[in-house]
Amino acid sequence: MSSDTTGVLPREGVAVSGVRAALLQKRTRLGEHAYTVVRWGGAAVFAAVVVALLISVAGSSSQALTRSGVGFLWSGTWNPAAGEYGAGILVVGTLLTTAVAMVIVVPIGLGTAAFLSELAPGWLAGPLSTLIGLLAAVPSIVVGLWGLIVLTPIFANQVEPFLASMPLLGWLFRGEAYGPSVLLASVVLAVMTLPTMVALSRTALAAVPVADREAALALGATRWQAVRKAVIPAARSGIQAAVTLAVGRAMGESIAVAMVIGNRPALPTSLTAPGATLGSAIVNQFAEASPGLGTSSVIALGAVLLLLTVAVNAGGQALLRSGGGHRAGTAGALR
Amino acid sequence: MITLSGTRGRKNTLVGLSALALVSVIAACGSASGGGSTPAASATASPCASNTVLSATCDTKTQAAVTLTGAGANSIEPFFETVFYGYNQKNSQTTVNYSPAGSSVGVSDIQQGTVNFGDSEIPMTSSQLAAATGGTVLQIPVDLGGVAISYNVPGAPANLKLDGSTLAGIFDGSITNWDSPLIAAVSGVSNLPNLAIKAVHRADASGPGYDLDQYLIDTAPAWVTAIGTSTPSRTWPLATVGIGEQLNTGVATYVSQTSGSVGFVEYGYALQNGFVNAAILDAAGAYVAPTEASIALAGAQATSLSSTNFNVVNETGAGVYPLANFSWTLVYQKQSETTTAIALGKLLDWVVTTGQQDAAALGYAPLPANVASLAQKTILEIEGSTGTPLFSS
Repeated sequence: MSSDTTGVLPREGVAVSGVRAALLQKRTRLGEHAYTVVRWGGAAVFAAVVVALLISVAGSSSQALTRSGVGFLWSGTWNPAAGEYGAGILVVGTLLTTAVAMVIVVPIGLGTAAFLSELAPGWLAGPLSTLIGLLAAVPSIVVGLWGLIVLTPIFANQVEPFLASMPLLGWLFRGEAYGPSVLLASVVLAVMTLPTMVALSRTALAAVPVADREAALALGATRWQAVRKAVIPAARSGIQAAVTLAVGRAMGESIAVAMVIGNRPALPTSLTAPGATLGSAIVNQFAEASPGLGTSSVIALGAVLLLLTVAVNAGGQALLRSGGGHRAGTAGALR
Repeated sequence: MITLSGTRGRKNTLVGLSALALVSVIAACGSASGGGSTPAASATASPCASNTVLSATCDTKTQAAVTLTGAGANSIEPFFETVFYGYNQKNSQTTVNYSPAGSSVGVSDIQQGTVNFGDSEIPMTSSQLAAATGGTVLQIPVDLGGVAISYNVPGAPANLKLDGSTLAGIFDGSITNWDSPLIAAVSGVSNLPNLAIKAVHRADASGPGYDLDQYLIDTAPAWVTAIGTSTPSRTWPLATVGIGEQLNTGVATYVSQTSGSVGFVEYGYALQNGFVNAAILDAAGAYVAPTEASIALAGAQATSLSSTNFNVVNETGAGVYPLANFSWTLVYQKQSETTTAIALGKLLDWVVTTGQQDAAALGYAPLPANVASLAQKTILEIEGSTGTPLFSS
């Protein structure tokens, strides 16, 4: 009985494994096909979504764009109550808040990233990274509420009067200290974009070969000099990518900005003056359902915002390509 | 929303403190109502035999569980929240979710048919009605509220007297300091502090903004010159002066925390926040502060109210507060789903009758009798999918 079974089993086993191998091969081929379909399908869906978005935004905003033409872009007045629609001041507000936010976030973000990747002891770097990661998970409306409830009175009563009283730079912050202002909006944007900036620059810095650091140190550089002269330049393209992403996020943010910028569609006379951005104007006006020109103009603001974002992203990519040539390795680490 | 949850939190703490005492009270109530409910139910059974009778005793009796969704005016939120909660206590089968995203959202949501009811501080215009996708929209006045001019000025008395010209000056930027002689002349208060005026208006389109715009157009020629039109607008017409904040809550938050600020909010919100409010010059020549009584007097002037004749701003009459308005609930006349329609009609009938008892404590005035009957008459026009009226009185 035992000899019989041992005689049969191997033969059966061979047969089974042969079938399994065939099946396996077939399954692999099936998998290949499925993967190809998923790959192309995914790409097609993504492209279709982008194209559909562009078409619908362009279609819905056509009424505003045909009435004002390209002038919509720089026409200065945004006053829906009087039926005057122009995006110019909002474009300025968007670029200004984004620029000021970057002035705040780039040095702080880069410094934090350099500290985390080069200088911080392990017991500190871990928890600190986790904290910054947590900051990235805070919804923008919560950051906006924090800006409105906590930062607004501090800015109105302390920060803005102090800035205005500074001897040389005071003129940048002159005017009434309302609290909600271009500056406060920029600070809130800086808080929101800081995690992106830190995480991406840290990856870029960590991708710089250890040999670069050691070479600098061997030549007698201090740790600070090694970071500044060897590591940061080598990670330049990665840092540029981080800034590009942060700029994109800052330009598109709407709800939080609308809560802290003061919503004044006029050219800001100083950094502490209230202002308005494309995003905040959309938030405030989108519900006003008066069909026709009003709705169309609000969607046209969305189209302008889309164009601005695309332009900034393209600019960032171009910078990456021109600057990242001699250090393709570090740039590649991020792509 | 922020301030509301704050109040509720405080109440909860109080409840927690006296929890032990309450347990025995609740137990007592439970047994009392349990004993009394059986005969009461059998007594009212015959008039409410049909589920489509609208009357205070029958409103809370429905058969199926229904969740109603609404969206609209931010100003009515404190009132709606209390009334809907009270209704749900009486009739746990009906749950209401109301999103206080603003009057303009109420209008657009009912136009698209994404909610069971909308609410707007200003009735829908004929062009807005024409854009409604579900046919005829019934507009039902559900509450009477006022707009408070609230200020945060250290050392200033309550009920500072202001007229149309000074208010226009504050909101068009021609009066920039609280110690301005123009304010002193009107208010009779000469010792207001040397403090910059921080005027805050609504950044989104709003009912309170419309009412104040209407009042300033009526009373201040300089305002008409400044905004270049004499047609009031829900979107604040002079957004380039002062700052804009979203919803009543945003304006209230700014006023409460910023010294020198002045803004307009629904009176219910001013009451919740404990704001001091200006006394406004009314058409009879008196300075009147917002109270439940002075707002009620304004509503009483609306003898021929309708969705096209809705303006109760700057009404004549002694003691009338000039910034008052009705809030309008928007529902489609023709309802596709009978169970939902019946629950909706009964809820609205409760809101305009029994629910009005909650109004005064929240900073609103109960609907005048003629307006309440207009509201009930409009609710009776709700039809089922076959086009026949669903309700009888």
